[in-house]
Amino acid sequence: MGLLDELKQAEGSYLTRRHFLKNGSLGLGLAALSGFSGCQSAANSFMTGESGDFSKVAPKAKRVIFLHMAGAPSQLELFDYKPLLQTLDNKPCPDSLLEGKRFAFIRGVPNMLGPQFAFNQYGESGTWVSDLLPHFQSAVDDVLMMKAVHTEEFNHAPAQLFMHTGSPRLGKPSFGSWVTYGLGSENENLPGFVVLVSGNSAPSGGKSLWGSGFLPSSYQGVEFRSKGEPVLYMSNPDGVSRDIRKDAIHAINQINEQAYQEVGDPEILSRMAQYEMAFKMQMTVPEATDVTEEPDYIHQMYGTKPNEVSFANNCLLARRLAERGVRFIQLYHRGWDSHGSNNFENLHGGFVERCQEIDRPMTALIQDLKMRGMLEETLVVWGGEFGRTPMQENREGITNPFKGRDHHGDAFTMWMTGGGVKRGMSYGETDEIGYGGIKDKIHIHDLQATILHQLGIDHEKLTYRFQGRDFRLTDVHGEVIHDILV
Amino acid sequence: MNKIIIGIGILCLLALVSFNFFEEEVDFNTDVRPILNAKCMSCHGGVRQEAGLSFLHREAALETLPSGDHAIVAGSAKKSKLIELVQSDDPEMIMPPLGDALTDKEIKVLKRWINQGAEWVDHWAYIPVDPEVSPPSISSAWSSNPIDKFVLKTLQDKGYQPSPIADKSALLRRVSFDLIGLPPDDELANQFLDDSSETAYEALVDSLLQSPHFGERWAAMWLDLARYADSKGYQKDNIRKTIWLYRDWVIDAFNSDMPFDQFTIKQLAGDLLQDPSDQDYLATAFHRNTMTNDEGGTDDEEYRVAAVLDRVNTTYEVWLATSMACVQCHSHPYDPIDHEEFYESYAVFNTTKDADDGRDSPKKFLLSDAQRRYKTQIKHELDYLKTVGDTLTDSYKHKVSTLSDVLPLSVPIMEEIDRTPDRASHIFERGNWLVKGDTVSAKLPGKLNKFTNLDIKNRLDFANWIASPENPLTNRVFVNRLWEQLFGTGLVETIEDLGTQGAKPSHPELLDWLALQFTTDMKWSMKSLLKEIVMSSTYRQSSHVSKELMREDANNKWLARGPRVRLSAEQIRDQAMVVGGLFNPKLYGPSVMPYQPEGVWNTIRHVAKWETSQEGDQYRRGLYTFWRRVSPYPSMIAFDTPSRELCVSRRVRTNTPIQALITLNDPVYVEAAQSLAQASIAAADDLNSQIQTAYKKALFKIPDDEIMNTLLTLYKSTTQKYREDGIQDQDELHRKGMENVTSVIFNLDEFIMKT
Repeated sequence: MGLLDELKQAEGSYLTRRHFLKNGSLGLGLAALSGFSGCQSAANSFMTGESGDFSKVAPKAKRVIFLHMAGAPSQLELFDYKPLLQTLDNKPCPDSLLEGKRFAFIRGVPNMLGPQFAFNQYGESGTWVSDLLPHFQSAVDDVLMMKAVHTEEFNHAPAQLFMHTGSPRLGKPSFGSWVTYGLGSENENLPGFVVLVSGNSAPSGGKSLWGSGFLPSSYQGVEFRSKGEPVLYMSNPDGVSRDIRKDAIHAINQINEQAYQEVGDPEILSRMAQYEMAFKMQMTVPEATDVTEEPDYIHQMYGTKPNEVSFANNCLLARRLAERGVRFIQLYHRGWDSHGSNNFENLHGGFVERCQEIDRPMTALIQDLKMRGMLEETLVVWGGEFGRTPMQENREGITNPFKGRDHHGDAFTMWMTGGGVKRGMSYGETDEIGYGGIKDKIHIHDLQATILHQLGIDHEKLTYRFQGRDFRLTDVHGEVIHDILV
Repeated sequence: MNKIIIGIGILCLLALVSFNFFEEEVDFNTDVRPILNAKCMSCHGGVRQEAGLSFLHREAALETLPSGDHAIVAGSAKKSKLIELVQSDDPEMIMPPLGDALTDKEIKVLKRWINQGAEWVDHWAYIPVDPEVSPPSISSAWSSNPIDKFVLKTLQDKGYQPSPIADKSALLRRVSFDLIGLPPDDELANQFLDDSSETAYEALVDSLLQSPHFGERWAAMWLDLARYADSKGYQKDNIRKTIWLYRDWVIDAFNSDMPFDQFTIKQLAGDLLQDPSDQDYLATAFHRNTMTNDEGGTDDEEYRVAAVLDRVNTTYEVWLATSMACVQCHSHPYDPIDHEEFYESYAVFNTTKDADDGRDSPKKFLLSDAQRRYKTQIKHELDYLKTVGDTLTDSYKHKVSTLSDVLPLSVPIMEEIDRTPDRASHIFERGNWLVKGDTVSAKLPGKLNKFTNLDIKNRLDFANWIASPENPLTNRVFVNRLWEQLFGTGLVETIEDLGTQGAKPSHPELLDWLALQFTTDMKWSMKSLLKEIVMSSTYRQSSHVSKELMREDANNKWLARGPRVRLSAEQIRDQAMVVGGLFNPKLYGPSVMPYQPEGVWNTIRHVAKWETSQEGDQYRRGLYTFWRRVSPYPSMIAFDTPSRELCVSRRVRTNTPIQALITLNDPVYVEAAQSLAQASIAAADDLNSQIQTAYKKALFKIPDDEIMNTLLTLYKSTTQKYREDGIQDQDELHRKGMENVTSVIFNLDEFIMKT
């Protein structure tokens, strides 16, 4: 539906709702015409978008929670168990593995590096998990492991952009922007695309990872901060109570309504709606983000401590936002870049700490969603921007002081659950040392196409015209992987 | 009998001829090309030529096909296979085989076009402006200048009436924001409002054009195109400490009304001019605004190539509104440039020394003109103090130290590589820089060079070609950009794309006439062009719109009313500071850091610190706000500034609740509202006049009774609530009441919009 149509519709709805404005309470209704809640109409017909008809199948998932492990965790220490690599430990890497390859840091001939932690099989599915994720071991029968995911990039920022915008260069809309552009939000009082960041700082790709690129800026991700104000400029200035603010917004909209009568520009109606929405968000956002009201057992389950920036808090927040109909909830947890160049980047140092930070909350998130009957309609995705080499990194030819691995895009593990994907299954295989995929590989564009498919979107049809060309999340690639779908 | 038959035959022939004669001639570009593009070209184009047929060029389309048929027989729709097949009843035969059949209207157009000779005409924007283009002869009291004649002609054809001239207060705000990006100062405002003579408006326009803030306002537009930022982009997004000198060069260039052809040449190839000055070098920083990647482990050559590709794309978008996103990978029949030609343009830019290194070299030590003028001024002052023997004062010492602070800075510039060994330029197969195809050398794209017909060797030649009056695109593109800035929509809506895939011009003759004036009579003067536009009655119309007109022309394509457009991110913030009396009008200098909530820059690794500017620098124009690409200033990005990673021609204007939260709660707006409240209290005695003062300061008019009542009611309910909260002090209650009133004024639609 075009903007004009939306505005016409808004005008209609305005005329029926003007008594709300007249009698002094703040009316509803106008908010729905905002770009903020997506390109779909106020009537919430699920599948009509600005970009035309992009639906092909009925949606299996209503929303996505994407747990991105920025910095790229080692699949060889978590999910992709390679006993042979143990026997090759500390032996020079054969030339055949190095020929024609470009690495970020490895130079010359590095040594192989065996798995650094013990693995066991868990659940009825017999899924391999290392000792670093003791809680997650109990959830494996709910999870789909994808072991031969591959990407084209081997540096953080480009690879993260590739994962989240489908292109390694800056300037393209992010995954969540595309989805909210297509589907809008389910909750007209909250943004459709929310970003939660934890770790010592944000991901390398910066805010472009949740930018709207060439899509209107109303589709960009809104960062909710877990410390301080959840949304920038959300709080009234000191001394201004909610009541006083209410009077102000009432006066603004009353004068704006008068202006609309005189001037006739429907954009004024849109602005009135946005002021109502802002007023409502001042209420809904603090409520939605207030994890203190959760019962103790939930806090224990997630390992949350209110008012701190943590992955655990963000997982719980993600569930609360999912409950309230936020369409795309993007988590970033940084600090996985285990090169072995210092203790923070050490597989036996920082890496272990990261595992402890995510193990309990991500497991709790799966269980919690399941417990509430929400897992079916919520697609949870976990993974880094690429994987790590089976070789010990030798930066500029000299073996690093700690155990660590270089960036590697040819094969790495991601997992998904809920939202109509098969569970307790492992899809894709890598070779005996986990260097490359040998069966059922999944390219990033395939993964993106598949996730969109679960949301009921045909990835080839959700397009936007920019610089004379129709762009889409998956560029000109991507195949839906039907084998992993229920 | 025979005679009769012959007679009837002649009559028929005459009828046919006269029918054709009076029938309006089909325009290939407007009428035919869109049909061919939409319905035929995907199978019968450049890449795919099913049945040996291509509609790309006339010669190809008229050729005898392998089947012996002729798709088109010029002059005879009847004999043309094309017409037979598009209206076939046979589902096996009908063209196109998939998708919608041609409508009756489309078939008629094709028939007429073929009967008229099936001429292929170049896309309108690739044909130079007709030097004879002139306004239609219409006499009307409404019309102030030739622009209005073009507009009025279209309005009459469509059956619309122009709107009356806007209220003085609206016009004052409109033209002030359009020319200097700020509301007018009190003096200028009063001069205009009090002057009822016919020349009042022109005097206002002339003053605004002379304002030093003029350059700042237009730099804000240009810096989006130049993808100017204070950081380098990508993962580390390190700071580019001296690039602001380029920003100051742009402000200066606009303020001095540098002819646009010079403005163009200096930025693209100032380093290649004969005896280039420091300012010529500084101008070339335009293309050093490309991103560089300092992330460990990245391939410098990969990002050098990316930067060069960006320069090609940016140059074509900025000056030629020609989209390159496609041809980087492959050719399309409708693109003016093919894959190989793209890389011939790439070869023009692939000759500079910069190589994605961490130091941003090559650089040059230099002073901007603004710095030089500043130095000269201080020297004069010092000389004066010396002559009066006043050299022991603090003021003298302070001036001496200021003088020594203004040192040349090292700015990234463009510079050619030494020619040995030559760096070869290759075609990249499917756009992949690792898959190199044939070697190419610098050359202009054929379709765009058809009328200029130049050979080029280097960047300077390329720049001269762009800036030549014969270039069919440059003047149209720039005129259209300015029109978009003033009216909210370009005469060609897709200001970034004047190609075949872009929108059609709403007023083609007007666009051409303005483009022609710009390069001839106006001698590429932007100020003359702007004056011509803002002096028109078209521009001065009221923006009020009736329901009927809204229904029929929601986007104001036909210009039966004045522009009503939201102010830009910079303008909204600047306006609040000016009206609130916080504004610091200082020009030029390093970028500043106004208040930003804690933690916003935590998003960035290797954090450079955001340190809030002091001494009034936090109230400088938005243009000077430090621009970090991975984390632009939050309130700017919320009002639709691009991130400046890539060239962006058009800011999409959104309307979101986050924007409302900013103008309600961002400390700069809160402070401005408080400050306006205090100033109004000081300026008048009673409540009514105080509210009127505040409202007039913001909107240059007195509120009507209804608005006054709303604001008074608000004032009363606010003070009542504060009283209930326990505030006793009358002055404090009054102030708080007024602050809520001024905050409301700052959030009115009329205040956020240019009306």
